[in-house]
Amino acid sequence: MNPDLLLALITGAALFGIGLYGVLSQTNLVMLMMGIELILAGALVNLVAFWRFLHADSYAGQMFVLIVMTVMALEMAVGFAVALARFRARGSVEMEEAQELKG
Amino acid sequence: MSVLIIVLGLLAGAYAVALLEDRLTRGSFAPAAPLLAAAALLARESIVTRKPDRLLFETAPVLLLIAALLAAAVLPLSPTLIVADLATGGLFINAALAYVLVALLMAGWGPDGAYAMVGGWRFLGQVIAYSMLIVMPITAVAIRAESLLTTAIVGSQEGWWNMFYQPLGFLLFFIASLAVCFLPPFDRPSAEGELAAGVEAEYTGARLAILRLGRMVLVVSLAAATSVFFLGGWLGPWLPPWVWSALKVLAVAALMLLAGYYLPRVREEHLLAWCWKLGIPLALLNIFIVGVMVLAGL
Amino acid sequence: MQTFFIGFFGLAAIVFAVAVFRTSSMMRSALALLFSQTALGALFLALQAEFLGVLQIMMMATEMSIMAIFMVMFMMDPGGLGGMDMSHQKRLSMIAGLGAVMLVSAIAAYTRWQELASLSQAAAADEQIRHLGRELLGRSMLVFETAGITILTAMIATTAVAVKVPAENASHES
Repeated sequence: MNPDLLLALITGAALFGIGLYGVLSQTNLVMLMMGIELILAGALVNLVAFWRFLHADSYAGQMFVLIVMTVMALEMAVGFAVALARFRARGSVEMEEAQELKG
Repeated sequence: MSVLIIVLGLLAGAYAVALLEDRLTRGSFAPAAPLLAAAALLARESIVTRKPDRLLFETAPVLLLIAALLAAAVLPLSPTLIVADLATGGLFINAALAYVLVALLMAGWGPDGAYAMVGGWRFLGQVIAYSMLIVMPITAVAIRAESLLTTAIVGSQEGWWNMFYQPLGFLLFFIASLAVCFLPPFDRPSAEGELAAGVEAEYTGARLAILRLGRMVLVVSLAAATSVFFLGGWLGPWLPPWVWSALKVLAVAALMLLAGYYLPRVREEHLLAWCWKLGIPLALLNIFIVGVMVLAGL
Repeated sequence: MQTFFIGFFGLAAIVFAVAVFRTSSMMRSALALLFSQTALGALFLALQAEFLGVLQIMMMATEMSIMAIFMVMFMMDPGGLGGMDMSHQKRLSMIAGLGAVMLVSAIAAYTRWQELASLSQAAAADEQIRHLGRELLGRSMLVFETAGITILTAMIATTAVAVKVPAENASHES
């Protein structure tokens, strides 16, 4: 068992857990998005670690990381647009007050 | 060894920039003035505002200095005089410059003052405008050099300096580099007349000295980057490489200060509009032209 | 040596990530997330993925600064001086978070990774960049192009959602 790989994977797992806690516990849309960023960051660590320790010759692994970084940026842009629209309409982005969005 | 030389060179450059700025803004030329001003700042009382965010307040000036120094770490003054010749040098300098923004936001938020905060957020608006104009010209430069190594980038300019090979990129990079170090046409984050010095408003004493030093070093770093990416770095006849580097860096720094002296201030929203509607299409055009020229073997 | 750096930067990333949800000052929260991501960039450098590390450090600085301004704009108490509690269902979230960490770590620890590994030596940084470029504009070009189109779509959609409807058109739509 490669200890470096395990260390990196546990880091990823911890970031994922913290992100999950944030997403579930925060009431503000922007704070919620920070949780999502952390979850995606955990995925990033795992991808890089897998590339380095399992398939260092396959550069598709690195490309995956680039795609996830793109997704992070897009998630932020779209999330902020939604937050902006909601703030204009209701004057707050508190998710406790957004019960009517429940389908 | 080269670390020490580069740091000393940056400090000397910062001194020269301070002299030049003095000459341009006050019309006086006193070689001892910057040193005296620094000594006075260090000796003066360092006031902390009411209810500050101490952590951010203390970190911001140091972070600005570190970011400026890191940006200079990948720039060669001669073929061997470089701190770290990273394989990703052209990207690394962008990463270092991004932390200028973080430092200014911290300096804006930390002291709990309205003017400082407005200045910090204004710089964020500027960053969104200029950041693509830093990255895209460097991309075009890297296309010509077929490498991100800064030494290889200088080596690729043996025949034609990039300033003549891609004048459009040079122009855009020059304008963006003025905005990075918030020099006069884009100095709204620290505008003296209207914002009471913006991000610098609440800083006094030793902290202000570090903040000012960081900004001077930033100007020198950006001038060095312009020289490496567009003016052929150490290349030149007769004189030894490091003399050419020093001359070019000083010339670019003087040009940056002069440009600020003669141009009117630009508001962030105008900068945003111009950068995104005009600057980015031009930068893309520049990349396209350089690509065609490289393929044509020019 | 590599193990030490991976552990160090990993720990730094985790500590900063915890700090994101422990402080009530929005600026500190955003900056903690920024430095958590920066530590991850350093971790990538320790994993010899130089290009990705530097890219991560660069992208996250701007991204998280933009996050900071939105947080200050949208929170009721951005300075955190009022000590408002902005969270709910803390117990459930804590259990879910810890459970996820345990589960994923256990999976990581009990998988036999050696059988999947194909190569343990990473190429030099300039080699890597060359290979990555060939991958991006060669075999994976379609995927890369799709990402580009996705960015364009998101840009248009974001602008459409965020831009205020001018007053003279508003009456038509409602």
